[in-house]
Amino acid sequence: MEQTEVVKPETLDELIAILHKIFESDTINVEEVQNIMESYESKPHEWTKYAKFDQYRYTRNLVDEGNGKFNLMILCWGEGHGSSIHDHTDSHCFLKLLQGQLKETLFDWPDRKSHGDMVQKSQRILQENKVAYINDSIGLHRVENVSHTECAVSLHLYSPPFETCQTFDQRTGHKNTVKMTFWSKYGERTPYTTISKNLFITKK
Amino acid sequence: MESQEGAAAAAAAVATRDCVLDFSRLSLNTFNVNNVSEDRQRDTRQLFLNYNRLSWLPSSVSLFYNLEFLDISNNGLTAICEGITRLTKLKTLLAKNNRLDEFSLPKEFGSLQLEVLNFSGNRFQEIPLQCTKLLRLQSLSIGGNRLKSIPAEIEYLTSLEMLYLGGNLISDIPPELAHLPYLTYLVLCDNRIQSVPPQLARLHSLRSLSLHNNLLTYLPREILSLVHLQELSLRGNPLVVRFVKEMMYDPPSLLELAGRTIKSRNIPYSPYDMPSNLVRYLDLASKCPNPKCAGVYFDSCVRQIKFVDFCGKYRLPLMHYLCSPECTSPCSSNPQSDAESEEENSVPADRLQRVLLG
Repeated sequence: MEQTEVVKPETLDELIAILHKIFESDTINVEEVQNIMESYESKPHEWTKYAKFDQYRYTRNLVDEGNGKFNLMILCWGEGHGSSIHDHTDSHCFLKLLQGQLKETLFDWPDRKSHGDMVQKSQRILQENKVAYINDSIGLHRVENVSHTECAVSLHLYSPPFETCQTFDQRTGHKNTVKMTFWSKYGERTPYTTISKNLFITKK
Repeated sequence: MESQEGAAAAAAAVATRDCVLDFSRLSLNTFNVNNVSEDRQRDTRQLFLNYNRLSWLPSSVSLFYNLEFLDISNNGLTAICEGITRLTKLKTLLAKNNRLDEFSLPKEFGSLQLEVLNFSGNRFQEIPLQCTKLLRLQSLSIGGNRLKSIPAEIEYLTSLEMLYLGGNLISDIPPELAHLPYLTYLVLCDNRIQSVPPQLARLHSLRSLSLHNNLLTYLPREILSLVHLQELSLRGNPLVVRFVKEMMYDPPSLLELAGRTIKSRNIPYSPYDMPSNLVRYLDLASKCPNPKCAGVYFDSCVRQIKFVDFCGKYRLPLMHYLCSPECTSPCSSNPQSDAESEEENSVPADRLQRVLLG
């Protein structure tokens, strides 16, 4: 597998440009993407305009649509905010910490037959600038900001982009398909007013 | 919440332009107010002293008499100076990650006009009474401390909209918390809470309730009446999943039987008829929630867990109090069933859309 030259992106814009190049090809090298994302040293003034927090829950803020090949977004986690256990709809998911820390808990897919608690596989705390990777064959995960004093900001890349995923009840393994929405796009707040079974309910 | 505090800072900055004094991240061991010109002392609206090595804050901080925003987070402060109480225009005080406890606050701290207060990451074992006197407070964060309880005096904070108490050692929620009419965001995650008082159902403005990682086995059925609640996190609680086979029931005392008769037959009574303790007892009667029963109960009731469906997906165990075993409806007396949900208890899909059970 050919690797493009390893160029260290000095800015967020440079990182985005490199990602566009990498994703021109139809196959991607997970390690390569991970290394490139990890080598960008987070500079808050470069992404602050995307980092819009909500008091009640974490937000998804679209940064770039990757020419349809990927979605790049920034997630903002207030103190104590966490996600459901979810899958990634057959896509690659890269997660980089831009500020603060996030706890990632991995779960196995629940057995069709089993109706008990889902089995936790492992847990780790992701540090600033580190990049984690997951896809459906690895398993499911829950991501949470367990800090009661600090916010966290993370950069996510999903390829191919997806708009729905499944969430899981830890106690029973029951799953539920949810639609995903954005709190903001390209730095502009994008409120929705319909109330529906959304993973991310955004209201003005 | 950092977003609210950030918004407060941003709003203040926009309004006053350059009236921001940023002394953050300078490894300061002390802060000498006299190094700042008198003009600056008068004009500064926001003062950042976070991420330094201050072990004390000089009382001369009061010379910034127009100060609205003060961030002293991430230092080594063990006390807040008395001078701070002279900052009559102070609206936001951030003092996260210090070494403060309930003895650290000056006596007149409660006289401040604070709207946002953040003491997260300190060593408070109690919420100091001075804090309960901050009548303009809208946002209070004391997450990540050592709080063992919430004082009933919390009800004095009638302007409170946001209360963050996650990451403490709280075992009980006082029913007085329900007297906060504007509370929209209540965080009690990562504590030791075993039960939620049914009075919390009176928090009509509550939009988000965080209870994950506690010791809850069930919730009170009254939680269903929180019509604006959109987010409820319950993961990491030992919630019962199986139908409770035994119905816990202590037979009623003679006092209770007499009380029930008086109330259910509407026998009039007054303080002239009997001792005041009995009048108070009679006033505490609770109506049986069984719609087919007009009975009341006092202390003796059947506690029964019923599972209620949310959006057809999640099943929460809610505790029902009924006046007698006869009041349980026929289908729920089937101990084998844990797969059923009661039609009349199903919550419509547009309520509680994001119940985070797991």
